[in-house]
Amino acid sequence: MSVEALASPVVAEERAGRSGVLRRLVRDRIAAAAALVLVLIALAAIFAPIVAPYDPYLTDLTNVMQPPSAEHWFGTDNTGRDILSRVIYGTRNTLMLGLIGVVIGGLLGGVLGILAAYYPRADGWIMRVVDIMLAFPAILIGLAVAAVAGAGLGAVVIALVVATVPDVARVARGAAVGVMGQEFMEAGRAVGVSDRTLIWRYLTLNCISTIFVFLTLRFGQIILIGSALGFLGMGAQPPTAELGMMAAQGRDFLFMAPHIATIPSCAIFVIVLAANLLGDALRDVLDPRLQQ
Amino acid sequence: MGRQIVHRLLVSFPALLGVLFLCFCLLQVVPADPAMIIAGPDAKAETVAAIRRDLGLDRPIPIQFAEYIGRVLRGDLGRSIISNKMVSEELALTIGPTAELMLGAMLIAVPCGLALGTLAAVKRGTLTDRFIMAVSVAGVSMPVFFIGLILIQYVGFKWGLLPFTGRTGPVWDGGLPSLILPAVTLGAVLIGPIARLTRTAVLEVLGADFVRTARAKGLRETVVIIHHALRNALIPVVTLIGLQAAFLLGGAVVTETMFSWPGVGRLAVGAIVSSDFPTAQGAIMILAIAFLTINLLVDVLYVYLDPRVQRT
Repeated sequence: MSVEALASPVVAEERAGRSGVLRRLVRDRIAAAAALVLVLIALAAIFAPIVAPYDPYLTDLTNVMQPPSAEHWFGTDNTGRDILSRVIYGTRNTLMLGLIGVVIGGLLGGVLGILAAYYPRADGWIMRVVDIMLAFPAILIGLAVAAVAGAGLGAVVIALVVATVPDVARVARGAAVGVMGQEFMEAGRAVGVSDRTLIWRYLTLNCISTIFVFLTLRFGQIILIGSALGFLGMGAQPPTAELGMMAAQGRDFLFMAPHIATIPSCAIFVIVLAANLLGDALRDVLDPRLQQ
Repeated sequence: MGRQIVHRLLVSFPALLGVLFLCFCLLQVVPADPAMIIAGPDAKAETVAAIRRDLGLDRPIPIQFAEYIGRVLRGDLGRSIISNKMVSEELALTIGPTAELMLGAMLIAVPCGLALGTLAAVKRGTLTDRFIMAVSVAGVSMPVFFIGLILIQYVGFKWGLLPFTGRTGPVWDGGLPSLILPAVTLGAVLIGPIARLTRTAVLEVLGADFVRTARAKGLRETVVIIHHALRNALIPVVTLIGLQAAFLLGGAVVTETMFSWPGVGRLAVGAIVSSDFPTAQGAIMILAIAFLTINLLVDVLYVYLDPRVQRT
């Protein structure tokens, strides 16, 4: 067998299963619906300037706190801004925060976990750092960063990344330790494949689906943490629209115009619910081992 | 058992140092130089330098950090910039309400979650099971403040059943009504995950041999479920509560802010908003230490519930 043939030994059964993943997900009606909702929300967020019926920052003091109507589907807020447009722009910011947190946190955590599994000498140290990171609840990180650097989207991103890294590192390490025990790793080493190739094409490729499923499962939680920080005033600052912050602003008008606070909260709920349902289904299909 | 706990304490130690260092950094970013403030606006450079020396501000950072740890150990966390009260005094006033809120939330979430999860497991595959699981997924996906907003709007405002701002006093002194809404808000978030895990754990135990034996010797089904199945299912649930401690703490910060509950979380948020660094630093430190302590307690409880852990 040549080194070429060993270049990327994705486990055979996994490769065979991959074509069926989409079909199985579609067959699961709840997962399909969740995926559809998420895609629609994401499209609305990406094309916010085209989709939003009004300017999300345009105040109209003759038209404040209107309940939902034909012109303003979600009503208007305390300064007469169209809530539907603000929810669309807010979703854009909220989703972006979640994505940045999950992608950067996932990359860092994945690299740490895989390196820990590959280099037993580094293992103890890496996992000790991970343990220390676990000692900080995400909300506290957000509060601390906001206290040092000032409230803003940056503080939330840092908090979300720190919240993602340790868990991903643990999952990635667990998966990678499993792969390390496979025969093809030994075979690769025996024919003189370099460390870099072993780590990248042998180890990482075989761990990626586990890490990906885990990140999908975490995405909803990350959005919840981000919006909670927004709600506490540590995230986006007015007039920027962010769903958590919008809910907090609406709180002051809860008794006169409850929709100002409830509609952004509902939007978060729908996003997180769809993400959680899709994550559960993906896990069942791709990686049943992750189930507790 | 003792060895496990000592090991856990040793692992927590670097984490604790990390927490302290972060809080120390918080104090370093105070925009105004304390020496300048004491010296006054017209002071000469030499005077400022002398005060700096007196305060130890000219020394290297590691030494200042060590001194900071010394002060923390003596309970000296500095003074609030806003109220000029000792931070330690402010914290002492807020820790009680926060502990009360978290305990209240657990007292609601744990029994509800266990009951719902067990019910779903016993009625596996039926409509009841599906309904409970659907509600749990919905609960996991809800922002804490959404539940709070709904409770404030309906139970508190429209129906006027319960107070929804502030705390009227300790639970034993007429404070119970004001605790209910915040505790339900915070507890509701935890019911879903607990119910889900309890269901899985009970289902697993129900298939075990000793459950069959218990049934075969004619025990009533309730006894089998509660004494045999649920008791063994508790172990993963306790672990979960430990894992959810971060969530509980974050939720407490949000809940306190919403309900004007005079706890540590609200103190921290208020201090950050008003740039009161010493107070923010103290509050964040207490919350982080509380988190470490909860995790430690969960580990101890784990050993108690599952004697097998001792042997490994």
